[in-house]
Amino acid sequence: MFGNNRLPAFHPGLTQSRIRDTTTGSGLWFPGLRSPPLPSESDPANDQLPLPITQEDLYDTPMAPFNPYTYIRCPCSELNPYTKRTPDVTAQGLSRAAQDDDDHTFDPRAARSNYSLYPLEYLSFCEDCHQIRCPRCVAEEIVCYYCPNCLFEVPSSNIRSEGSRCTRSCFQCPICIGPLAVNHVETPPDPNQLLSPDHASSSHSGSYILSCSYCNWSSTEIGIKFDKPNSIHMQLAKLRNGGETRLTAKERKERRKEQASQGGGGGSSTGQGEEDLDTLLDMETQFANLKSFYQNQLSDANGTGKVGGDPSAALGNLGFDAPASLSRIMSLYTGSSSLHDKKSKSRPGTMREALAPSEGLQLASLDESSAITALQDFESTTGLDAYSSTASTSQLQSQAPYLGASPLHGLTRFTSSLRPIPYLLRTKRSKRCPQCRHIISKPESKVTTTRFRIRLIAGNYIPTITIKQLIIPGLTPPPMPNLPPDTIEPLKPAQFVLTFKNPIFESVRVTLATPATTPGRFPAKVTILCPQFDIDSNTDVWEEALKDNNATSSSSQSQNLSSSTGPEGSGPGGRKRAGTLRPGTAGGASLAGEELGPEVGKVWERGRNWTSIVIEVIPASLVQTAKRDGRGPIKEDEDVLEIPMFVRIEWEAEAPEDEIMPGLSSAKGGNKDGGKEKRELAYWCVLGLGRVARTL
Amino acid sequence: MSSATPSPVPSSAHGHHKRHSILPAVSQSGPKPPVQFSSSCTIADSALLTGPHTIIVSTESVIHPRARLESLGGRVTVGRRCIVHERACLGAADLQGRYHKGSPDKEGRSMGAVTLGDYVTVEVGAQVESGGTVIGEGTTVGIGTRVGAGAVVGKHCTLTANSTVAAGEVIPDYTVIYSNGLRRIDRRGVSDLKNKAQARQIDVLRRMIPSNPGKFQ
Repeated sequence: MFGNNRLPAFHPGLTQSRIRDTTTGSGLWFPGLRSPPLPSESDPANDQLPLPITQEDLYDTPMAPFNPYTYIRCPCSELNPYTKRTPDVTAQGLSRAAQDDDDHTFDPRAARSNYSLYPLEYLSFCEDCHQIRCPRCVAEEIVCYYCPNCLFEVPSSNIRSEGSRCTRSCFQCPICIGPLAVNHVETPPDPNQLLSPDHASSSHSGSYILSCSYCNWSSTEIGIKFDKPNSIHMQLAKLRNGGETRLTAKERKERRKEQASQGGGGGSSTGQGEEDLDTLLDMETQFANLKSFYQNQLSDANGTGKVGGDPSAALGNLGFDAPASLSRIMSLYTGSSSLHDKKSKSRPGTMREALAPSEGLQLASLDESSAITALQDFESTTGLDAYSSTASTSQLQSQAPYLGASPLHGLTRFTSSLRPIPYLLRTKRSKRCPQCRHIISKPESKVTTTRFRIRLIAGNYIPTITIKQLIIPGLTPPPMPNLPPDTIEPLKPAQFVLTFKNPIFESVRVTLATPATTPGRFPAKVTILCPQFDIDSNTDVWEEALKDNNATSSSSQSQNLSSSTGPEGSGPGGRKRAGTLRPGTAGGASLAGEELGPEVGKVWERGRNWTSIVIEVIPASLVQTAKRDGRGPIKEDEDVLEIPMFVRIEWEAEAPEDEIMPGLSSAKGGNKDGGKEKRELAYWCVLGLGRVARTL
Repeated sequence: MSSATPSPVPSSAHGHHKRHSILPAVSQSGPKPPVQFSSSCTIADSALLTGPHTIIVSTESVIHPRARLESLGGRVTVGRRCIVHERACLGAADLQGRYHKGSPDKEGRSMGAVTLGDYVTVEVGAQVESGGTVIGEGTTVGIGTRVGAGAVVGKHCTLTANSTVAAGEVIPDYTVIYSNGLRRIDRRGVSDLKNKAQARQIDVLRRMIPSNPGKFQ
């Protein structure tokens, strides 16, 4: 009865995909799901009534059943929510025509409205402002960081120092991004290995590897083995593909310090005589080298010209090597005193560029002949299939940056140079209302629990709308044969039952309004048969059962409503139990007793906390309008019948007690009865009813 | 040819979908095939063997309950130490419902419908179409995979879940078919280890699945 408004894979902002996602039923977006050109377009002489049209004629792909949906518009998308009547002469005036102004109705097909429409499941509700909040307008704060693989919580201080990836043993396969597992392998000891010098050993006698259980990749394919099964990240940082060792940042610093002390004096080493200019540096090493080199240069430049001799060393020992602090301190001494040498101050000091790979110099290899021969002879030298050994763009892009591989930025193309990818950390976030800063949603900070401390979702405050087509066996005319399911025939009235389910514990009055014709190219006439009605409060099932037993079949069963206007329609047997579908005796029986269909002004059906009403639509004809107005064939999803509807909900809530002086509100007495205050909430929503058949 | 052992019929009569596993197995619908079972193989009682041609199950192989072996297109040969899981079908019809007959090989002998090498694992719900299909030794045909008619899959391949091999395709040895039809070569060199693990698994399965080869002979 309450239908299934499931909305898989909703992507706000993708043009038209919000409709497509519901209609395919599987939640996937198919680029080929496109409306074909009209069948009669190619044959202008064909003015006769078409033959019975099958589903294959109308659509080039079989249409998935259409699920009616309800999207609600968040009020954050209004341009000026506080000053509505600003005259606009600017170019924004055109775009505002589609916005919510009191005079303009909401157009669900405008490109802009695509960004503000959300299904009910996506919306939250701020209790202080009594307003709907959408994912676009809430302010998010991070509660905790965790690795999605090992579920280990990472303190935020580590994020700054070590980056936003897991630093334990969680890796993704570079080929298929599946999770890698640590496996133990027994390798027979290689007698040749023992003879080679230590720093040239190709692979350590480690006995653990990473392997992917999906694509069967293992780290032996890049020549990496590990000694210990844990802290793989650390071990991996010290290994290159192929098993050679690599210096980490710490080790590089230590080596540099050693060389500096050996070289004696000047901070930057200007030349290791035998250093090879062609050594290939990886990104991290090069960056670190360059950074330390430039820092040294800056401290040198600020130091010289002031004091003769070895200023940088003297100041370097003090630790003042940041240029800002240097200039600040030096200006104390050189402000307007006579010691100040104005000429030398204006000279910034000479700086030079890096001259060696230890300083960060990386020569561009203009001669690519070696790379070309490597590519051409790949299959003969390695015996691997070249196509599957080429790294694809997505594989290269998912590689983590700065991970100490052989240079990856455009210089390698093979899968043998790919490295395992550490998992990106994820966050748990709490959401706040942007206006009153009230917390709307707050998850537990414990990573393994999925509960929420605070969770104010719109589904607990505003009524749920479910849509179903109304077919009365005796009354509704039978549809055309061979029509695809869930389509609506044009130019014939179709009726739909809207069921409003009330989640709060007070009864609400709902007022609906729609424009008489839907906006868009194929306007449909819409009539709401009962635009104002009440929904009872969401009481317990047992309460209702007990009340039913006590009460007779009198019609005054509506609970605690202050006033009930005429169109209430709770006739004999007015309130049905939830779940029964006996049609319309509540709103049905007319005076003559002949009509069993829905009546104007009467509710269709009513239950414990829900009410159903009927709306009637008469869709426009697609084919003829498209032929006449010359705007081209029917675009994708233009045949979906969407109704913008304005919903206004009024209810009475308990007035909040004054916290400072409890009991004051009750002492104030009753301006309202019992301290209740009237509240109301209004919003636009869009009902997607179905596709209009292309028969006419 | 209905099944001999009566399964407990679920007593609920609500009319909604029942779990397939508690329904009684589909009774034998087609002709009963001539069989050649090794003495050490394990055939579950509710396995489904149909077809006019011979079905051969070799040493220590395990056929799970409700697995289907259809010899409508030709002879079905299951090698040594194979495992065929539930709802897998050897000798299936193609998507249009046709049972292919394999074209004869070089010596003119009939290829039979499906030939499984040794140590092959056919996972749950896999469909190996008939028509001269050959699955090489040590290959794992993943869950829900469809191997087209006449395809020749090499040795020690891995077909991951829901992958497809087109009809007549030849897959080289040690291939991994993953993702959306991507291929790569498996270089782990773990074939021996996998065979040993398969033998151990068969030991366990033989104790868990009650075998009833007499029902089919």
